[in-house]
Amino acid sequence: MEETRTQFLASRLFFLTAAFWVLVAMTLGLIMAIQLAVPETYADIPQLLYSRLRPAHVNLVVFGLVLPGLVGAALYVVPTVCRTTLFAPWLAVASAVLWNGVNLGILGTLIHGMTQGREYAELIWELDVAVLVMYALLIVCVFGTIARRKEKLLYVSAWYIAGGLCWTAVVWVVGNVMWHPDTGSLSGISDAILNWFHGHNVLGLVITPAAVGVAYFIIPHATRTPIYSHTLSLLGFWMLLFVYTHTGTHHLLQAPVPQWLKVLSIVDSVALLIPVFAFLTNVWLPLRERIGRLHQDVGAKFVFVGTVWYFITCLQGPLHSLPVVQRLTHFTNWVVGHAHIAVLGFAGFISMGAVFYLLPRVSGRRLWSVRMAEAQYWLMSIGLIGFFLTLTSAGLIQGQAWLNGEVIYRILPQMSLYMVLRALLGIMMLTGGTLFTINVVMTIWRGQKVDS
Amino acid sequence: MIIHMNAKLIGIGTTLVILAIVVAVVFVPHATFEAAHRPSDDYRPLTTLEMQGRKLYLKNGCNNCHTQYIRAVDWGLGAERLAQAGDYFGQTPPMLGSIRTGPDLSQVGGEHTDDWHAAHFHNPRYPRPESIMPNFGFFSPAELRASIAYMQSLGFRAADARVRRQLAWREKAMAAYAAGIDQNIRWLHDLVPQGWRDVPNPYPATEVSLGRGATIYQRWCLGCHGPVGDGQGPAAAFLYPPPLNFTTLARHADSSGGLLYYQIMNGITGTAMPYLKRELESEKIWDVSNYLAQYFIGNNDANLEPKGIDAAYEPAAKEP
Ligand code: HEC
Ligand code: HEC
Ligand code: HEM
Ligand code: HEM
Repeated sequence: MEETRTQFLASRLFFLTAAFWVLVAMTLGLIMAIQLAVPETYADIPQLLYSRLRPAHVNLVVFGLVLPGLVGAALYVVPTVCRTTLFAPWLAVASAVLWNGVNLGILGTLIHGMTQGREYAELIWELDVAVLVMYALLIVCVFGTIARRKEKLLYVSAWYIAGGLCWTAVVWVVGNVMWHPDTGSLSGISDAILNWFHGHNVLGLVITPAAVGVAYFIIPHATRTPIYSHTLSLLGFWMLLFVYTHTGTHHLLQAPVPQWLKVLSIVDSVALLIPVFAFLTNVWLPLRERIGRLHQDVGAKFVFVGTVWYFITCLQGPLHSLPVVQRLTHFTNWVVGHAHIAVLGFAGFISMGAVFYLLPRVSGRRLWSVRMAEAQYWLMSIGLIGFFLTLTSAGLIQGQAWLNGEVIYRILPQMSLYMVLRALLGIMMLTGGTLFTINVVMTIWRGQKVDS
Repeated sequence: MIIHMNAKLIGIGTTLVILAIVVAVVFVPHATFEAAHRPSDDYRPLTTLEMQGRKLYLKNGCNNCHTQYIRAVDWGLGAERLAQAGDYFGQTPPMLGSIRTGPDLSQVGGEHTDDWHAAHFHNPRYPRPESIMPNFGFFSPAELRASIAYMQSLGFRAADARVRRQLAWREKAMAAYAAGIDQNIRWLHDLVPQGWRDVPNPYPATEVSLGRGATIYQRWCLGCHGPVGDGQGPAAAFLYPPPLNFTTLARHADSSGGLLYYQIMNGITGTAMPYLKRELESEKIWDVSNYLAQYFIGNNDANLEPKGIDAAYEPAAKEP
């Protein structure tokens, strides 16, 4: 098994990266949640200031938990669907090492207030460059692997992974305005348009394709049934590319930006239902009699639940892209609820499921404890449903009150119950996260060898 | 129909599509949206000190709780004026924000005095007891000055006008305060038109109304005027002139329900005393006036004549 060792070293490193940073990212979330519930818990410590932790939390859930899990999986999936070995595995290892350096950098800079202050593009220029290098190394590995594939037909997982990496690299350079190293921004309202083009696509063009690509591999693999239709995959892929990318302005519907851009973003947000359902039909329809097989593997179960959250997120998304709905929901906790079911429920669950499903294959060891993974599954599922209900209710209360002319200060007492609930649920989620860390580390360290 | 996907199509083809989309939804709006390229009528450039404050706003991530644009559906702070594209002229980056954990700040300039901001930054719960904004007591004096200057600049020329008004009244308020307690109260009361001073509180001081008054007092006033109304709330250390000690009003026979109502509704411009006509409805202001008069001033004219015809739920009015 010497070959597995070097071949999948990068995957193992990426999985360990996810297992470590999930703790940091969730702890930051919990610290923030406590601060909103009890505002003076750690007063006057600038490094623990809510508003500095928030971007650190958001960047670290993306670069700490979601992406490393998905990239680690991709480095297994792409060679497998190409029936070949990974091209230049050491470059992927270098990317994983650099990745951890970047995460340290993210944490260190943001809590010290070194930020460019643009949502989802807060990182300073040096870190932007490092992220780009990370992506570039992966692009070389993935395209090198595809170039020497032994399977003629390229499977849909590989399209998404390869495409997602290229698109993100482009969006990253443009969205971070990397030709202006000091401010990282354009001037005036145009920057808000660009910022949300980026903010939307940094989620849409890397997290979504990577998670969809990995799910496209794991669900059919676990149930041993092919996807429903190649044509539907093509439709989903190209529609995602054309439609998702126009919708950034749905974050600015009430801001002074051109009307035609708003209309375009609303129309395309609703049109997004097509690629979403193309994907879901493709992986769900073949499940009809085989859902039991999915539940035999806890990893596959996580991935499947991830697709369910995708379904819910993408019903909610077009709904709150409509101006009549945004009158009520914009600026409120409703959006925070959406963000958690999207980034944790959809992408995070698929990422963690992929870690569980593929870890035995990349480490040659059985998962350390299936029971622990089951416990994590319930802790996180209940926690997340709780988050969604709590934040959505809080958002509706805020939205209603503001529409009726109540000032924000007067609603704060009504919010406090929900803020306390969110912090309690956060403890539950963090417990789940801790189980994840222990499980991954113990599998790699002490897991029972798979006899082959 | 089988279309074969290959590395070239994905690597080059789709990336070109992305670039085309960048042109369509970023470059085209940038190039054709004229309003973005000229300042709005109210606009003025920031001073060096205000720019420093803006940097601190960015550094400390205030935009993660506060927005800077007023929408058509808004009420409250700044709602008099819709945001315009030219308001963000030259800003790198503009800080529109995406969530309102706290209020919109695009028109906060001149709303409060500098000493109010100093108390609020030190601990937001001093002037606003139920706030969930974090403390910024770690600001150095220079950082505090810059942050306040930036707050007072928000709203551009309209804010400048409000700041000028505050400063003009501030001089008078400070002179009155320096002249002594009773002179200060006389000055304060002379701000109120006679008609208002003649009106007793039209709401009877029932237990329920006083209970509501107490709640409102705790949520809005306690941090400045103090739990017993002696002006010794925790914010007092930051404020000059300091919050009024209500118990001194007992010496002034002219203090009436209408006078209190008027002062609470309009605030005392130039001092930290905020106006509450936007935040509290009429009955609530009467309730808290009742509470002040009953418990702190010890002399309440509630439900005295003249008060018009009693409402169905009220006990009959009393003769003075
Ligand atoms: C946790 C979110 C949070 C953060 C971070 C935050 N604020 Fe606030 N802010 C609030 C809330 C809630 C209120 C309303 C209650 C109050 O007045 O304290 C508020 C109120 C204010 C007000 C008073 C507005 C009015 O009603 O007139 C100002 C000014 C202000 N904040 C400035 C700032 C500045 C400057 C920063 C950054 C240095 C900042 N805030 C950071 C939540 C926050
Ligand atoms: C940020 C501090 C602050 C808060 C909060 C505050 N006040 Fe004041 N208030 C003052 C100051 C300062 C003065 C006196 C100004 C002076 O002496 O020139 C004052 C004066 C007054 C007066 C004038 C009395 C008179 O006889 O003219 C009344 C009435 C009053 N406050 C009521 C209230 C009520 C009721 C609340 C809560 C709803 C409240 N204040 C909240 C600071 C505050
Ligand atoms: C059909 C699909 C989707 C649509 C139409 C959609 C639409 C929207 C809209 C309109 C908002 C802004 C709400 C507001 O500010 O009022 C929003 C916010 C958000 N969405 Fe989605 N969404 C979709 C799917 C997703 C997915 C798949 C993800 C993540 C992988 C995601 C992550 C987020 C996040 C993180 C935010 C919060 C942004 C912020 O910081 O304000 N969304 N979405
Ligand atoms: C311990 C568990 C967690 C807690 C307590 C928590 C708490 C929070 C808090 C307090 C915020 C700020 C909300 C606001 O602005 O009002 C936030 C934002 C966010 N969190 Fe979490 N979080 C947790 C876990 C996660 C996980 C695991 C993910 C994703 C994998 C995640 C993704 C996000 C995102 C994307 C945002 C930005 C929301 C927006 O911009 O609208 N969080 N979280």
